[in-house]
Amino acid sequence: MILFKTIKFKMTLWYVVILGIILSCFSLFLYFTLADSLYKGVDNKIRTMAEIVVSSARSPFGGGAGIADLDQVMTERFGVRPLGRFIQILDESGRIGDRSTNLRDVQIPISVQTLKAASRGATTFETVQVMGKYSLRVVTMPIQENGKMAGVVQVGSSLEGVEEALQQLLLILLIAVPAALLVASAGGLFLANKVLKPVDAITQIARRIGSGDLSQRIRIKRVNDELGRLAATFNEMIAKLEKSFRQVKRFTADASHELKTPLTILRGEVEVGLKRKRGLKEYQRILGSNLEEIGRMSRIVEGLLTLSRADMGELTMEREELELSAIAREVWEDLQMLAKEKRIQLKFMDNGFTKVEGDPLLLRQLILNITENGLKYTRAGGEVALKVKGDRDQGMVRLFVTDTGVGIPQKDLKRIFDRFFRVDTARSRETGGTGLGLSISQWIAHAHEGRIAVESKVGKGSTFTVTLPMKD
Amino acid sequence: MRILVVEDEKKVASFLKKGLEEEYYAVDCAYDGEEALFMVEANDYDLMILDIMLPKVDGLEVLKGVRDKGLTIPVLMVTAKDSVEDVVRGLDAGGDDYLTKPFIFAELLARVRALLRRKEREPAGELRVADLVLDPVTHMVRRGEQEIELTAKEYALLEYLMRHANRVVTRTMISEHVWDYHFDPMTNVIDVYVNHLRKKIDPDSAQRLIHTIRGVGYVLQDRG
Repeated sequence: MILFKTIKFKMTLWYVVILGIILSCFSLFLYFTLADSLYKGVDNKIRTMAEIVVSSARSPFGGGAGIADLDQVMTERFGVRPLGRFIQILDESGRIGDRSTNLRDVQIPISVQTLKAASRGATTFETVQVMGKYSLRVVTMPIQENGKMAGVVQVGSSLEGVEEALQQLLLILLIAVPAALLVASAGGLFLANKVLKPVDAITQIARRIGSGDLSQRIRIKRVNDELGRLAATFNEMIAKLEKSFRQVKRFTADASHELKTPLTILRGEVEVGLKRKRGLKEYQRILGSNLEEIGRMSRIVEGLLTLSRADMGELTMEREELELSAIAREVWEDLQMLAKEKRIQLKFMDNGFTKVEGDPLLLRQLILNITENGLKYTRAGGEVALKVKGDRDQGMVRLFVTDTGVGIPQKDLKRIFDRFFRVDTARSRETGGTGLGLSISQWIAHAHEGRIAVESKVGKGSTFTVTLPMKD
Repeated sequence: MRILVVEDEKKVASFLKKGLEEEYYAVDCAYDGEEALFMVEANDYDLMILDIMLPKVDGLEVLKGVRDKGLTIPVLMVTAKDSVEDVVRGLDAGGDDYLTKPFIFAELLARVRALLRRKEREPAGELRVADLVLDPVTHMVRRGEQEIELTAKEYALLEYLMRHANRVVTRTMISEHVWDYHFDPMTNVIDVYVNHLRKKIDPDSAQRLIHTIRGVGYVLQDRG
């Protein structure tokens, strides 16, 4: 049964068991304390009565000449005849001398032991069965005259009332405790149900989420209790999951789209090319174009591989001390040809202490990416400036790449480092961009505990700033 | 048959134009959504091949714009988006067919033929007027048992006339459906081509099929 494995059931069970133990202990305690106190009460009463009888037996008025009429003594002393009390007086040999009227044919038994104890002057309490049915509490007290036992007074009291009361109590407890437990378990189950209902709701939502619907959220009624907090935490987790799932989905869709475009061109050009015989020039054009597309595909695949390795933390990074300005200068030299071809002035400036710790190849790629980017979006006659500056006070090395290019619209600035994001898709494709360069650059900057930022004005140009911690 | 190719990727547009032209279609290209909307309104195209991801105006928007204007032109969508939702969205927006990139060019041609056939409510296979037969797949033209060699433009002209057999087609209709954007309507090129075509399919011995309607245009008809 599944029910027996639920927390609901276990909680109720524990609750009922603990409550049962407490109630049982309480009942036992109640029963025995009450019994004890009732028996003690009886003992006290019969002892008092016995003492009175003993003293009156010794008194000069009634004593000596045997024992006066007990009923009379009682009436004198208490004003009423004691009901339910049985008094019996015996002489020193154990023969019955006098007895209260209510005893009539019955006699209180007395054992030899008790008699012996009385002869030593001791008082004995005992419970005896009279006529085999009724319990009688009996006190046996010696009457002493001149240090010798002159007789024995026995006072008995029926225990019927006490036993009846105790039996009644026992009955009440035996009915009441299980009833209370039954009610408690029902109540416990109800409470557990009520408390755990939100948990069931969470489970159901989680199941729906498990089947792929990440838009599900738990409706929270009480924010501040434990389950409310659990639900809120759960919702936050799902939101994060949904976001990253959406990112992955978009990334996969983008990646497949990026790869499909060159594939479409390759396949289409070759297919159309093969449909009929063509001139050498035409074949050369097709092959040249194909080569371009193959190059584009390899660049995309390479970029994707770099990024996925970086995501998985599998990209090993060297950590060595190096001058950032030296790397920037190398890049500047390498790109001179390209800049001249495009008739763009490529400038270089460095200033101060630019020592950083990092991977020379990755840092080179970072600088190359953003500088090439600048060249790509700058028209002939424009200018791209590469500037490295050390700031000892802040312990930072900054690299600025400023171009006089087309600029980036304000709304796109935030997304410029997103994978496959392009401000102008057509232009980027024509210039052979993969849409991954800036994402990789950002990753490299972050991997070096640095930052990359961009400022731009449409039509005026953009400035990319890379900030890296300085190595002292 | 005149086709508008809407595709922002220049190389894709270029091989589509080349491949389709080699199949005797007249082809114009638009490289973004705005241009596409303008061109589809300005000219009477028989079919539009539409990429979904376009700069400026998205392909689906173009499609909505086209349908909102009441144009029933068949639209073949070509896109890299291949999820079921994308296909459904495209077809529901008014697309007639859907091809995902990278596509096989032969399949694209077959779908183009199918859409054009459906547009004219024609059964599949050869076009036939009297004993003149044209096969749109192999581009073979026969008059009786005699096979006829035609140039690309002559073929396109004949196909258009045969698809509109027994109906008068004006010079404007011909220029719009057989020639592309760069055609100059002030010349008498159409008459010249019709004369070339007539010489080939209506030899002296046979019954004449192409008739001139003076001041209006031409009709291809079996007046037997």
